[in-house]
This record gives sequence, C-alpha cells and structure tokens, in this order.
Amino acid sequence: MLRACRRVLRPSGRTAFFTIHPTAGLTPAQRRRASRDGPIAVATTRPHRQLLEAAGFTEVTETDCTAEFAATTRAWLHHWDTNQAELAALFGEQVVAERQAVRRAQLCAIEDGILARSLFTASRPEERRPG
Amino acid sequence: MGPRLRGRPPRIDGTLPWRAVPMTKIERETAERFAERYRVGPAEVSRRVELAVIGGDWGANGYTTMAQAGLLGRELRLRPGVRLLDLGAGRGWPGLHLAASTGCQVVLSDVPIEGLQAAAARARHETLAARPGLVAASARTLPFTATVFDAIVHTDVLC
Repeated sequence: MLRACRRVLRPSGRTAFFTIHPTAGLTPAQRRRASRDGPIAVATTRPHRQLLEAAGFTEVTETDCTAEFAATTRAWLHHWDTNQAELAALFGEQVVAERQAVRRAQLCAIEDGILARSLFTASRPEERRPG
Repeated sequence: MGPRLRGRPPRIDGTLPWRAVPMTKIERETAERFAERYRVGPAEVSRRVELAVIGGDWGANGYTTMAQAGLLGRELRLRPGVRLLDLGAGRGWPGLHLAASTGCQVVLSDVPIEGLQAAAARARHETLAARPGLVAASARTLPFTATVFDAIVHTDVLC
C-alpha cells in the first residue's frame, strides 16, 4: 500500500496518516494480545518508519497520539453506555454488548502500554536528474 | 514498479463511484461487512454520539477527532489547488471535511462502494471548490496515473 501511495504521489508530495500499532519491545505473547485486542488489521510486524523508508519515502516523522487514542476510546465507551437503550434498539443488544466488549479490551491494551496510535508524516523525494 | 492498471485511469472529476480492479477475497469480505453499515444512514443517536466523541457527524466510528483532522490538513499543507487522495474514506471522513475546510480538491477511495455513495450525497451539502472524485478501489492497487496527487491521507487503514 505504501509503495502504491509513493507511485501516485508527485515528487515532494506529502503523506500523513494515523495508525494503531503494537508498541515497541513487546514479548511475543504481548504482541499477540495487542493484535487480538486492537483493530482487526493490527498485524504489522515491522515499524512503520521502516515500512515508509523501504517504500521510498523520506523526511519521516512520528508523533505519539496514544493519550488521545485512550481518551477517544473512553469517550466511545462512555457515550455508548449512556445511550445503551437507543443504540440497542438500533443495532440489537448483542451487537452493542460485543462492540463495547471490544472497546473495553482495546482500552485495557492501551492502558497496559501494549497498543499505541501514532501520526506519521513523510515525503516523496524529488526526482534526481541525470548530470 | 506499481500495479498495472487495466484500461483507462478512472475519472476523478466527481461523477460516479468506479471500481477499477477486481477485489481479493479479504477485500470482498471487508466490503460486504461495511456495505451493510453504510446502506443505513446514521441514526439520530449515532449522530449525537459521534458529535460528542469526535466532534463531527460523518457516520464515522473511529478515533480521528475533528482537532486531529485539522492537524492532518496542516501537516499536508492543504489549500486551494492541492489534489488530495483520501484512502479508506468511508462516508467521507476526513477527506471531504478537509476539502470543505481548506478548499483543496479531494478524491475519496475505499473498497465498499456504499460509503462513497453516502459521501457523494453529503458532498452536495458541502461548499467545495470542486466535486470530489469517488473511486472504489483497493489501496493495494491504486488505479491512478503516477504522480497525480500532491497529498495522501488515511486514518487507521494501515495497521
């Protein structure tokens, strides 16, 4: 996907994205838990900085946004709890219970320091002209 | 070398969602899962909760707040004349909001076509410099000509 992005981006064009990922230095068991309790696609084994550089991006920056991620997860939990009856009427009680269980597990993983969210920015380098 | 596009590159002038490349099994399953959700417009309670949590009403249920969308716009130096690609755009969050707030031109891309149709409907109520391009495609095989975008954004698509 990052290589595809690089191809369609003009030289000196920029990309910026948020991504949820396991924190660095986890044991294999912690990593498995981060993948299980994070969003469905948390499967990356290489750091995003490396992935970006391997795809040909430069000027890579990473900003940790895990505190905001925790706050937003708590807010979803709180407002779904507060509006449980209306949401259950809309989606069904089982769906609401399942989604809240997923959010609680995710919040535990964030609070235990194994799941993080970061903002990455990077640029496509200028083309080198021969001569 | 990037993926080869079969046929002509899609129109990005904001007419119809356009599926350019066949989907993989996983993409098809993802599309089906989200399609059901996107076919139903956000209910009043969903809208109220989303507004309280992320500060917007785009039918989103992720973690990018309104303040963080603004940060993306600044990092990408979005302004009139800039061509932005939003991958995994869902119903248009945050790409359509960024186009409305900065004046840039946006192409929204995602696997489920239903989210893009909702984004097209929403676009009619936003003040935009240009109609958004809508392209149903996988981020793995972006069906665009090389070097066509000035900026690319995605939120929690790459995990």
